[in-house]
Amino acid sequence: MTTKLMLSALRTLRVSVPNKWQVPALNTVRHYAAPPKRFYKKTSVLCTDGGYEVVLDHRKLKTPKGAPFTVKSEPLAIAVATEFDSQKEHIERSRMHLSALCFTAIDNPNNLNKLDMVNYLLNYMPTDTVLFQYDDEQDLQELQKNEWDPVIDWFNQRFETNLQKTMNITAPHITDADKVKVAKHFQSYSLETLHGFVYAVDTLKSVVLACAVIEQMLPVEKAVALARLEEEYQIKFWGRVEWSHDLSQQELQARLAASVLFVHLNCSENFVKEKLIL
Amino acid sequence: MSGTKVLRSLLHELRKASPNGCIKDSLAARYILAQYKKYETTDQQHCKARNEAVFLGQTYLTYLSSLRNYTELYHEFHGRGERTVKDTADLVGFKLPTDPK
Repeated sequence: MTTKLMLSALRTLRVSVPNKWQVPALNTVRHYAAPPKRFYKKTSVLCTDGGYEVVLDHRKLKTPKGAPFTVKSEPLAIAVATEFDSQKEHIERSRMHLSALCFTAIDNPNNLNKLDMVNYLLNYMPTDTVLFQYDDEQDLQELQKNEWDPVIDWFNQRFETNLQKTMNITAPHITDADKVKVAKHFQSYSLETLHGFVYAVDTLKSVVLACAVIEQMLPVEKAVALARLEEEYQIKFWGRVEWSHDLSQQELQARLAASVLFVHLNCSENFVKEKLIL
Repeated sequence: MSGTKVLRSLLHELRKASPNGCIKDSLAARYILAQYKKYETTDQQHCKARNEAVFLGQTYLTYLSSLRNYTELYHEFHGRGERTVKDTADLVGFKLPTDPK
């Protein structure tokens, strides 16, 4: 009886396995789209009524959606032009964070409005990296206390909020009054600038750190180091792997620097009023 | 980092980023130099945070250098497919029959 059962079970297994789990063939090659060749020689910036445009040879740069690329700030346009100029043989779009951010802000592919983005940032706050600390390991806890707590205190002082860190898995409670205060701050920025904020928060996984670096309380490298604090701590014991740890660190730094530049250049304006001499 | 040091490193990074290694007619270099001329006496401006200009310079410097480091690491470690016979021979210190002795 048992052998019969076993045999039938085996048979069903044999029949069902190949259909259910397709074993991937070893020699499958993933095909990626080849990056476009660099088709221009020189890049420059054009000043028009609507703002500044980037020109590749004699062609105007366009966004992926086909809209003309126009930004309000001259240094931003220059930075994008420089980025296009620094491409060697191919245009590596995945490594052009500043241009990508400008394109996203112009195209707004997800059709987000200001309220969506502010809500996104507010909903990020209960899962903020720096609010989740760990007290089982003494050294790590001390490191987090020394490095993260000053930033939380700065945030609470700057926005007059009362964020509390948590020591276990339950999310910290953020009162409605605090949410309103932070929302008011984000609402004061334009839609384009908020794209930069969201990019920074996604990079650092922390609203507190993103605000600190955009308000110039922390330099970019330090903010990335704080966001990767636990990783760095574990690296001390398990070793540093260049193609993983260093690569991710450099990428995070580049992404964060791009978003900080984007936010600053988007909301800073320089007026020069000249005296009229009669 | 002081302003002068940031300027020197920025020009260095721009030179490395440009395809021909020359920043004589580079827009960014010219813009940065003009900004430095403008804020030569002081970069403390009305209605601006302290050291805003230096902070922006440092951020751009971080951007350029991180991207360069990232690209270098990527090229170092990204898989390029199977090695050729010559690469493998070089790796273990052998010579090909066609190589001179």
